[in-house]
Amino acid sequence: MSSSSSSFQMGQLVADKHVRYILMAEKKKESFESVVMDHLRMNGAYWGLTTLDLLDKLGSVSVDEVVSWLMTCQHESGGFAGNTGHDPHVLYTLSAVQILALFDKLDILDVGKVSSYVAGLQNEDGSFSGDIWGEVDTRFSYIAICCLSILKCLDKINVEKAVDYIVSCKNLDGGFGCTPGAESHAGQIFCCVGALAITGSLHHVDKDLLGWWLCERQVKSGGLNGRPEKLPDVCYSWWVLSSLIMIDRVHWIDKAKLVKFILDCQDLENGGISDRPDDAVDIFHTYFGVAGLSLLEYPGVKAIDPAYALPVDVINRILLTK
Amino acid sequence: MGQESCSQEDCFDLLNQFEHVLESDPLIDEVGFIHPSLFTILDKEAGSSSEEASTSFWNQDHKLGISTDILIQLCKVAKHAFLTALKEYKRHENASSEFLTENISSGVSCPTLESKVMKHSQALLLLSSDFGTAWNARKLILSKQNQPYGFTEELRLSRLVLSNFSKSEPTWSHRRWIIKMISQSFSTPQEIITKESELVESIGERSKMNYRAWYHRCWLVSYMTIEQVLQELNKCKRWAGLHVADSSCFHYRRRLMLRVLEPLKVKGSNDNDKTEAHKIWMEELDWNKELVIRYLGREALWLHRRFLSLTWLMYFCGNQSSETGECIVMNEEIGIFVDNEIYLLQSSMTFPDNKFEDFQAQALHASVYMLWLTKNIPELWRMLEEKLGTEKLKCVLNTVDQERPSLLLHQIDIFAAKHNNDC
Ligand SMILES: [Zn+2]
Repeated sequence: MSSSSSSFQMGQLVADKHVRYILMAEKKKESFESVVMDHLRMNGAYWGLTTLDLLDKLGSVSVDEVVSWLMTCQHESGGFAGNTGHDPHVLYTLSAVQILALFDKLDILDVGKVSSYVAGLQNEDGSFSGDIWGEVDTRFSYIAICCLSILKCLDKINVEKAVDYIVSCKNLDGGFGCTPGAESHAGQIFCCVGALAITGSLHHVDKDLLGWWLCERQVKSGGLNGRPEKLPDVCYSWWVLSSLIMIDRVHWIDKAKLVKFILDCQDLENGGISDRPDDAVDIFHTYFGVAGLSLLEYPGVKAIDPAYALPVDVINRILLTK
Repeated sequence: MGQESCSQEDCFDLLNQFEHVLESDPLIDEVGFIHPSLFTILDKEAGSSSEEASTSFWNQDHKLGISTDILIQLCKVAKHAFLTALKEYKRHENASSEFLTENISSGVSCPTLESKVMKHSQALLLLSSDFGTAWNARKLILSKQNQPYGFTEELRLSRLVLSNFSKSEPTWSHRRWIIKMISQSFSTPQEIITKESELVESIGERSKMNYRAWYHRCWLVSYMTIEQVLQELNKCKRWAGLHVADSSCFHYRRRLMLRVLEPLKVKGSNDNDKTEAHKIWMEELDWNKELVIRYLGREALWLHRRFLSLTWLMYFCGNQSSETGECIVMNEEIGIFVDNEIYLLQSSMTFPDNKFEDFQAQALHASVYMLWLTKNIPELWRMLEEKLGTEKLKCVLNTVDQERPSLLLHQIDIFAAKHNNDC
């Protein structure tokens, strides 16, 4: 590498430290945060393991240990819970499927059962509930579509209606919310655009208008916020950026400034990435920071698929095999 | 340090204490985690110095403080107690459904198990509000009981949880479930809708731009009568004027306004509705202009203006709707509107000293606002060129170019293409 490279001035990704942080995080269970996060351990596992894979270090975890715990979270219904003994929900079902995809272990799943659980949550109007209790949200539409696509079972739902429902959540500003008429939010936009991308329905998006809203999320520091008037936050590097890529408008933001913002949020000593510079790190923002850098083609980080939120090689392995 | 783990017995004692506090004061309306050093200060403030003051819980005037020193143990034991009770309850339920015909009674009666699950889940949720399984267990039991009183009590509990975790999505979602249950089994209670709306406003006061809270308020709109919608528009105006950076609140107004617009989109809508809506839009545009001038450089206000102007042009300027894809017809009314907007733009771009950040932000927002409108209604571009003149238009474009060059380049490309087509 040339010493005149500006990347030296703006700091580097301390990948090894992040790997160590993730491997340690699983063992630290004595903080209040970790106690109250216990119910979404499945999401945590997905964030941690995907980060490890993006940094090419997935080999450092025991596949059997993870998979056997993961399978204890599956219910009779086919859905997965966030941890052993908890109720199933699509939020955790997708994470479970994604983790098995990472490990190339999808074959241990009873695909019919899992896909029936997910498909069973589609409502008459095409929307999806998150579980049997009926809360509807476009996040759950994305989850269902992503999950069924990985399992190659999209034919189990009414895709057309699912797409129509998502389109009905579009606002005049070009963004999307959780239900019709709800405020645009970068996280919801990712879900809606992701679901439309997977189902080949991106023609429903006004790309220029949505791209406009998304690129206005970049603030002076280079970071992205998730809504107007909010502070920038590393996790939106993922949601805004992946959406911009899917609608082919990523050149509308200043990528170099965003890279710098993410790198500034690292804990250079102990590893991990925080929401903003100098805040406390957590596994959620570590994943979104690394995933964001992946979308920005940062050297040494594997490419991630913007719609499936899994490494590109994993997605290729799944989609290219029958 | 009190953070060390305690013996199982001590832990259960702690949980018992906590549940006793909750039971003995059903009027508690606020919960918070506080550092133990605050206990004595709070006691002094309240003018009380009880002899056997607890070092774990502080309860005065229905405000409950939980010591941060015991949080981990308390949360762990509450979780354990809840999951154990739930398992027992489910086992009993399964057994009684299996042996229903044989009429075998098991040792514990179901109401006892139910109240156990309810008691422990309540304690747990006040400590860990996102614990979905605990909310679900309550849903299961409440829907079996299906009592109005049970649902109203549940609204109280989830309100209490929100006093400490105002962004908890499962808690808000649980509230919607309760309201749906009430309106399914009993009458749709307009009074509840009004109270919910007030709750969001009071939470919005303490927790800025709370997406989950404001989403809940937007959700309520579909349950409102049109009279309520109009009342809400009036009622939340003052709050919005005092919180001009809260974009979520302005989105709520947009949601309400679109509800007013709904009947107008149907063919053969009545003229009265249209006059009413027309008046609402005019007032909102004027009010927004006042705020934009008073509070310089506020993104939320300019975004609200984008919405107001676009919908105004689409639905009120002699145009029925452009949603069907038809072009907006330029007419005199639009001309007058654009004149006024150009006036606002120009006054937003003249400032005493360009070093002031607020002035710069104001100029940028005003310029991007104009460009955004022309993106949606390309016919406006020519009008803008005509009325503003090339020099001033250049100035507007330069302002955008400095902050968001990509937007400008893109927009210029579109106009260039359009211009070529026209020629
Ligand atoms: Zn974040």
